[in-house]
Amino acid sequence: MTQPSRSGRHPVITWGVVAVLLAVGVAGTLVVPLYARTAPKLGPFPFFYWYQLAWIPIVAILAFAAYLLTSRTSRGAHRSQRGRDE
Amino acid sequence: MSDVNAVSFTILLVLFILVTLIGFAAARWRRADSMQHLDEWGLGGRSFGTFVSWFLLGGDLYTAYTFIAVPALIYGVGAAGFFAVPYTIMVFPIVFVFAPRLWSVCRQHGYVTPADFVRGRYGSRGLALAVAATGILATMPYIALQLVGIESVLTVLGLGSSSNSFLKDLPLLIAFVVLAAYTFLSGLRAPALTAFVKDILIYVTVIVAIVYIPARVGGWTHIFNHAATHLASVNPKTGKPFGALITPPAGEWAYATLALGSALALFMYPHAITGVLATARRNVIRRNMAILPAYSLVLGLIALLGYMALASPAVNAGVKAGGGNAQLAVPLLFEHIFPSWFAGIGYAAIVIGALVPAAIMSIAAANLFTRNIYREFFHRGASPAQETRVAQVVSLVVKAGALVFVLALSKSFAINLQLLGGVWILQTFPSIVAGLYTRWFHRWALLAGWAAAMIWGTIVAYRQPVPGVPGSHFGTSTAVVPVLGHTAYIAVTAFVLNLVVALVLTVVFRALRLRDGADETEPADYSADPVDAPAPVPVRSAS
Repeated sequence: MTQPSRSGRHPVITWGVVAVLLAVGVAGTLVVPLYARTAPKLGPFPFFYWYQLAWIPIVAILAFAAYLLTSRTSRGAHRSQRGRDE
Repeated sequence: MSDVNAVSFTILLVLFILVTLIGFAAARWRRADSMQHLDEWGLGGRSFGTFVSWFLLGGDLYTAYTFIAVPALIYGVGAAGFFAVPYTIMVFPIVFVFAPRLWSVCRQHGYVTPADFVRGRYGSRGLALAVAATGILATMPYIALQLVGIESVLTVLGLGSSSNSFLKDLPLLIAFVVLAAYTFLSGLRAPALTAFVKDILIYVTVIVAIVYIPARVGGWTHIFNHAATHLASVNPKTGKPFGALITPPAGEWAYATLALGSALALFMYPHAITGVLATARRNVIRRNMAILPAYSLVLGLIALLGYMALASPAVNAGVKAGGGNAQLAVPLLFEHIFPSWFAGIGYAAIVIGALVPAAIMSIAAANLFTRNIYREFFHRGASPAQETRVAQVVSLVVKAGALVFVLALSKSFAINLQLLGGVWILQTFPSIVAGLYTRWFHRWALLAGWAAAMIWGTIVAYRQPVPGVPGSHFGTSTAVVPVLGHTAYIAVTAFVLNLVVALVLTVVFRALRLRDGADETEPADYSADPVDAPAPVPVRSAS
């Protein structure tokens, strides 16, 4: 969407942070060479498996942080001007 | 696999009847609401909060895909099948970005299907038709996958022997009839309610399986070691190793593109978009992206059932006896490891877990046809009763189409059915998601990009032989990318082609000043979050 007249740089920073959080969430398992190996093992689990399973709670936390950030920004935006968002 | 296990079968039957009754009761209970209950049903009154949405959206992930197809692929080829885990990780950040905008604009304009939005945004009936037709087509192999899942349970139960061809297809026919009857009986409200029962069954089964099975087949260390040894050995059919425990460098592109392509595609399916649009508030979607990964965790654990099955000699013997059908691995694992009563619960989890999504999918596809094709092109003044009748018939046609996919395509790995659906549905992504952000793309450029990608993707997929069976078709969903030389998911390659064609032709069409359609949406529509305003009543939709 086009950049709306957003007063202050706070929302911009917030959306930047959200974008980074989400990009990390995608990149963590998209870059396969990062984790396509056996060692170090976690118990009997090769790295390949526990690394990817470990990303599930991480992406949940990233999404939750992004949710908190966006909902605060949206609420602030709604107070000043209706119908504005990312 | 010769005799029917009476205990397992009885438990499966009882749970199945229970779920059907719940579904039927739910449909009757809500029917009194209004004569327009079909509209109501379409999006459940757009009233679902975080909790219900979690079940509803999660239901799109939890299907026979999770329980049968992914473990079967892991059982057969190892690490390559684990792409389903990054797929269900990446999907949440991606959906987080665009789903709220889709929700808002659809809420503002009363859109019920993705094709509604495309029609409103681009003022193009042709592009909307393309999106609707793709949704219907892509849903068919996805439903086919559910049929294969049900079939594999029935086969393990002993309902069907390979001695004659009629009996051989009997489990499939039973699965088809059951699904058709279920959908006809209970409509769409019912699956939403039975989704609770379905998820409880699945959670119980998975937790028990993960705790109970590993020790029974020699412990995790043995499971992984055995898998590594087996996967490295040579498959006599292809003359190459079965697979690998860790994705080799040559498989990294395929792994990443399968995960990314599936993640981009998931929320383009009509039934998944229905789940998004049914939420009460804009924020519910984002909040759900933080709690939905719980499903991914379960999917990851279920995936590892494939390795557990590999470590069980009885399962391997059973798969071999079933003609090398890897889809039997999980039901066989349940049969051989669990006491028969619990195996029955596990079977019920799989069957109901396939049936409910298949019902939702076929109804979503039928809706798409009724709203965006029948009413748009054939009968503008159709009455609600006529629309319902059309939708019911189409829901049957869609399932018959699914049956064709099951019978026509190789069943070596059922996951290819879902991946083929992904090749098609992903091509609606530019029209829908780019449209949420910009009107820069020309409607005909998007249509041309879609057509090019659909044709190219289908031809390439058609040309892929089943490994070890030269001359066969639709055998795998990955192919060598022209120019690049890497093997990648066909959907993603076609998607890139789609974008390039759309970009180039938009520039050309704009230079030629070709007429563009009218846009009925406003920029503010995409971030609107009506709090108290009642949900706009969709013009009219069928069940």
